[in-house]
Amino acid sequence: MDDKIVKPEPPLGGPPQGSRPHAPVGDGCFLGEEMKPQAPSYKEALARIKNWFRANSLWVMAYGTGCGAIELRPLATARFDMERLGIAMRPTPRQSNVLIVSGYLAVKSLKRVIRSYEQMPSPKWIVALGSCTINGGMYWDSYNTINRLDLYLPVDVYINGCMPRPEALVAGFQELMRRIKKGEADGWRHYMENLDWYKENQKKIITDWDLPEYNW
Amino acid sequence: MSPSELSLLPKLFWVVVSVVGAIAYGLVIGGIIRKVMARIQGRIGPPVYQPYLDLFKVIFQRTATWHGYMFYLGPVFRAAGAIGLFLLIPVVFGDPRFDNFSFNGDLLMVMYFMFFGCLGMALGAAEGGHPHSVVAITRGLSQMTAYELPFSLAVVAIAAQTGSFSVHQIVAAQQGGVGHWFLFTNPLAAVAAFLAFLGMNMYSPFDIVLAPQEIPIGPPTEYNSAFMSAMMSGRAIFGVAKCVLYMDLFLGGATTILAAIVKVFFIYFWSIFVGAVFPRFRTEQAVRFFLGWPTAAGVAAVLAVMLF
Amino acid sequence: MKEILKEIEERFGPIWERVQRPKLAQVGIEPAKAVPLLTWLKEHRGYVTLVHLSAVDWIEQGEFQLTWLLGNPETEERLMICSRIDRENPAAETVSGLWPQAVTYEQEINEMFGVSFPGSPRQGVPFILEGWKDIPPMRRDFDTVAFVEKHIPGREGRKHIDTRTYIGEKFGEKGYLHD
Repeated sequence: MDDKIVKPEPPLGGPPQGSRPHAPVGDGCFLGEEMKPQAPSYKEALARIKNWFRANSLWVMAYGTGCGAIELRPLATARFDMERLGIAMRPTPRQSNVLIVSGYLAVKSLKRVIRSYEQMPSPKWIVALGSCTINGGMYWDSYNTINRLDLYLPVDVYINGCMPRPEALVAGFQELMRRIKKGEADGWRHYMENLDWYKENQKKIITDWDLPEYNW
Repeated sequence: MSPSELSLLPKLFWVVVSVVGAIAYGLVIGGIIRKVMARIQGRIGPPVYQPYLDLFKVIFQRTATWHGYMFYLGPVFRAAGAIGLFLLIPVVFGDPRFDNFSFNGDLLMVMYFMFFGCLGMALGAAEGGHPHSVVAITRGLSQMTAYELPFSLAVVAIAAQTGSFSVHQIVAAQQGGVGHWFLFTNPLAAVAAFLAFLGMNMYSPFDIVLAPQEIPIGPPTEYNSAFMSAMMSGRAIFGVAKCVLYMDLFLGGATTILAAIVKVFFIYFWSIFVGAVFPRFRTEQAVRFFLGWPTAAGVAAVLAVMLF
Repeated sequence: MKEILKEIEERFGPIWERVQRPKLAQVGIEPAKAVPLLTWLKEHRGYVTLVHLSAVDWIEQGEFQLTWLLGNPETEERLMICSRIDRENPAAETVSGLWPQAVTYEQEINEMFGVSFPGSPRQGVPFILEGWKDIPPMRRDFDTVAFVEKHIPGREGRKHIDTRTYIGEKFGEKGYLHD
């Protein structure tokens, strides 16, 4: 097995040029020489409106991969009540926008997560929860868990901690909403454009690859 | 039998207005329901306009799935059934703008339309091929057959009491004060119909069909984006149309829009408040429930009308 | 517990035994007699529940230890039947005919330790490790860190702190050694 990983630009560090649907908006302040503040174009305004609706109605796929899923229960119930932010749980990937990868991800679950993620309609986002998704966390030397999620799926927001408290999750969701409103959360676009690279990495870790090339 | 005082074009205009208004009101009611349920559970709850956000969000989503023609037609059938149901019932009695297309014998047509949408939905969802959809359809159709019985008996009792199958004449027969409402003049039929309404609305005691927070979400398991938006608006208008029908049958109709809005609200929330305090029935328990006391009340109502 | 241990010894020959708590005892028996003992306990002495089936790798002795934990719901007594099998070509008799849930335990032990249970269904069917090509990962000669470094790419810049050296630096030479 080849251990050399071609390193692309990760989605968090800034996607490749030309991949964004429109220029980042929201600051209203341009520092360029000949740039003047001007009214957004029709397409940009429509994109802003769409993003506002998307950000305020996040439907989360109810699928817990690891121990972090236990933090979603207090988030949904009376204490932290995520429904007040418009976040609801949907039990089917066809109707969800957000996939929370909660904690460690076994290779077996990674296959199911890829399948669910590709079945979700675009635009879609991934919230990676816990340090296991970032660098392996306390399971970094486990024989069956992956160490870096962003090699296999595009991550829009990381929430670190082991475990992050529900407050951290709320903060992460607010960050996700802010990024969606600004048009920065386009990991799904990154995934579509660099599909070959993602598929190559996925096939390296999933030794018995029996998925179709893309799960519609 | 409704005097068609308006010509076709203005009538069409007011039809569009009333359908759009019904969708908007149904969505607002959906938001209020979520807020009320959240407060009952000690949460803050989403804003009242949350269903609008959800609706527009699903419209703005993309889809690339293909499951066959019937899959596409499922939400269309459901929305068409809901709109057809709504257009047959007079919303505001005596107002030619909101009288809709009421005619003699339309109550039979209304009862047909009530189940037309569910059947279309069942066909479409089965085409999606998801096993959870099929499970939910089986549950939904058996529950539907069960609650149809007391509801039909109640309608037969009301029709026999009025001597007409026209919703318009049934409303006309209840004019002249609260005491003339069939809710009070035929309480047995009202009991049967309002218990059947709990099953018809598919809220908590009988929500195993939709099973909103579980793995089988019900017939909509495979539906996304625009299909989902058609189903959400269809469900909104269907809920309002059912409440308008109940208002016309039992609560003496409405002579102003405000009265219609208030009465629809209270009829809708009858099932919500019942659902807030009762846990869920399984399908066979639900069938047994509907074939028990509600059916007995319906039979008693028919007998009472026949005998006295 | 003493009575049942005595009865086992009378019926099944020499055993190794230890009473851990008033209602929990450990019985070691040779592998050929383990399943007859389990059958007898289930059919005649009320130990009808299979609570657990686990394996331990005794690499120094070249043996695997299988432990069937049985429960008696009437007297609330637990009995651990331990049996050591050879580490080369490990195989044991299946109890899936007595307890259907043993199929899953045996599938997992087959996958994680490579112990085979002839006659048990789902042997060799992947339980967690889909497409596993290495030696079974719960064996102690399986080097997890080497496997991870070879197969699972990690994030650069992660610092690994060895617990013993860290505590030793922090709290003095033998800081980790007090029992």
